[in-house]
Amino acid sequence: MNADVIVPRRILLADADAFFVAVARMVDPDGAGREPLLIVGGTAESRGVVCSASYETRRYGVRSGMPISRALRLCPEAVCVPVPRRACTDMSHGIRETLGKFSPLVEAASIDEWYMDLGGTEVLYDNETLAETAHLIRTAVIRDTGLSVSIGGGTSKLVAKLAVEHAKPKAHNSATGVFVVPPGSEAGFLATLELAEIPMIGPRFQERLASLGMKQVADVLPHSAAELMRMLGEREGEWLWERVRGIHDGAVEPHADAKSLSRDETFAVDIADDAGLAHELASLAQRVSSDLRGEGLAARTITVRIRDHDFRTRSASRTLDAAVMSDRVIHAVARQLLTKLRAARRVPARLLSVALTSLSSHAGADQLALFEAQAGREVETEKDRAVARTIDRVREKFGSEGIVMGGALGRTEENGKGADSHRRRGTQSS
Amino acid sequence: MRFTISREKLQEGLTAVAASIPTKTTLPVLSNILVEATEKGIRLSGTDLDIAVSTEVAADVEQVGAITIPAKKLSEIARELPPSPVKIASSGEQRITLDCGRSHFKINGLPKDEFPSFPSVKFADSWRVKSGELQKLISHTSFAVSTEESRPILNGVLWELRPEFMRMVATNGHRLAKMEVPVSSSGAPQTSDLIVPPKALEQIRRLFPADEELEIARGENHLGFRSPFTAVYTRLIEGPYPNYDQVIPKDNDRVAICDKIALASALKRMSVIASDQTHRIRLSFNSAILRFSVQTPDLGEATDELPVKYTGDPLDIGFNAAYLLEILRYIPTDEVRLTFKAPERAATLEPEGWSEPGKYLCLVMPLRLVD
Repeated sequence: MNADVIVPRRILLADADAFFVAVARMVDPDGAGREPLLIVGGTAESRGVVCSASYETRRYGVRSGMPISRALRLCPEAVCVPVPRRACTDMSHGIRETLGKFSPLVEAASIDEWYMDLGGTEVLYDNETLAETAHLIRTAVIRDTGLSVSIGGGTSKLVAKLAVEHAKPKAHNSATGVFVVPPGSEAGFLATLELAEIPMIGPRFQERLASLGMKQVADVLPHSAAELMRMLGEREGEWLWERVRGIHDGAVEPHADAKSLSRDETFAVDIADDAGLAHELASLAQRVSSDLRGEGLAARTITVRIRDHDFRTRSASRTLDAAVMSDRVIHAVARQLLTKLRAARRVPARLLSVALTSLSSHAGADQLALFEAQAGREVETEKDRAVARTIDRVREKFGSEGIVMGGALGRTEENGKGADSHRRRGTQSS
Repeated sequence: MRFTISREKLQEGLTAVAASIPTKTTLPVLSNILVEATEKGIRLSGTDLDIAVSTEVAADVEQVGAITIPAKKLSEIARELPPSPVKIASSGEQRITLDCGRSHFKINGLPKDEFPSFPSVKFADSWRVKSGELQKLISHTSFAVSTEESRPILNGVLWELRPEFMRMVATNGHRLAKMEVPVSSSGAPQTSDLIVPPKALEQIRRLFPADEELEIARGENHLGFRSPFTAVYTRLIEGPYPNYDQVIPKDNDRVAICDKIALASALKRMSVIASDQTHRIRLSFNSAILRFSVQTPDLGEATDELPVKYTGDPLDIGFNAAYLLEILRYIPTDEVRLTFKAPERAATLEPEGWSEPGKYLCLVMPLRLVD
């Protein structure tokens, strides 16, 4: 191959269409499956947020992330169902598996979005266009999983992400489920967009750009890189100059390292008593430490976040000397943090979360410490790790409820009913 | 204020004070250097509120006075000046003029009253220590302090003063360095434990000639060190230091004596293949041979061997190679004596055949071996 020729990259983004709604319909074909106006995210009585809404419901203005109570005011006829978590995870893995048959480089951007790098596969697919290959992939996913995906494509992850919005078939367009921006036409494609559509241009940046007279991508294009740097500063100016031209060299990373892991729970009814919160905390700490070990990681920083009934959110965190991974230590530290937060303001709470950061591989916990015996309960001992490994083996055999912490037993039913809980894995460094 | 100073003397004074000036600060006056012209000469001082350094340099003072001037700018100017006498004069409370040869500068500063006063440390109750002894303790221990904020107490070096000796200890919770020397100081408080930030100790190591007698005095929560021309003040870290004596093994019964340079070379070779995160290497001691091995998934493996004098049962133990290499850099003898008890217990490293008065001991906790 001639080294002087730069081969354009072939990146796709596969985005499952109304993923949670589709899965909810699949697991309950006679209930949710028959409801055109469907909201997934919790029950009508719960105080969770809309995880996903059917296209029919979206016409009423219902959007993901909106409190369910508000969604129901907009669309009173809608039927709400909780997120079928296990099925969603399984279906997500199913789609990922099919995508993996087309390229070894698949990166899960979230539970229902995957980037694929098809660079170097041209000959494998008889030199057909990237759009043709994307159609093949789309058909295969529908055949293998019964779920449909829309696929955007281009020479970068940025272009693929923007293109996928044009791929989704909707009532008012003639989209086919695949939209690929051919190499060389990125600038022309982007010129039709608003700046707000570009990822990472949030409300505050939009405001700043608007004050400089820039709302559309087309407003930015006439400015040279130097002018933008003068207006916005060196880093942001250069960043924007590249983005509006579709330039973004981020690689598709099949195993992006997690930077944070968290578990949170929005309660069906505000919890006012310390015992009730302590109980929820035990359950969250146990789940997040299990996630941690599942990823082969250990953590040094533990953060507890509490959202009071009046939506005031407070958090406390602590960084330990050594990386830990056991339920006991993570719970012990989280409990101290919760006690501190509750001492500062003891009012009913609507949400609690436990997050782990400063992550390192398991091996980070292999360095033995000098003062183990002296520093008290927050130091992880060999015994803690042995217990954690045993817990994992029991859960492997009997499922996640096979063994639970004493403090997390019992009350889940009464508090957790209709509650909204989330597992998060963050790969962005803050 | 008006004085004339040689370019070299000005640079000397500025260099001494520079390390105490914070690079980022919310209090603008801390980026400045306090210049005081007295009948004896000029005194330059800087502080980041944790430590303060003050030094006197010879100058021809015409008119006494004081002002603060941006430290970085003054240092940059001093560096570029031609080799001629430097004339500095204040013009008002907030500005100086600086003339050297045909160069002329006007620099804005801040009034001297805005500069924080030094911690009150009464040198009337001071004791004296030979600077060289202090420097020996500092350079062999302060490398081991913790740089993490999670346990502030370990960010300091423990300085123990006892009637017959003084000792410094530093640790980050994984490795520890401890050195003691017999006391040849006078007037020291009989027994005192001070936890000193390493940044201040570094200044003491740097600023005072080894043969100088230092006067040391303690204030409420500060410590002051002073020679005829230079003074260093530092905040002390409060709180009980962990009971380090309890973690020093007394019954390690496996002993190896190795050539320090050969051991360090082998460790460096193994480190190339060791994991970037853990630097994990395996040491296997068996009669007269120390065998090194390292295996890193996705990278490869390596082995090496070194003849050693070893007594005790065979032993396989894992370490962070970086910890061992760092300690070996400070071992003052050609041979090093290592002792062990078990693969999950602390190992010790000591100089073998050290003729100087004093005791030096380092500890390292092993890394678990994964098979």
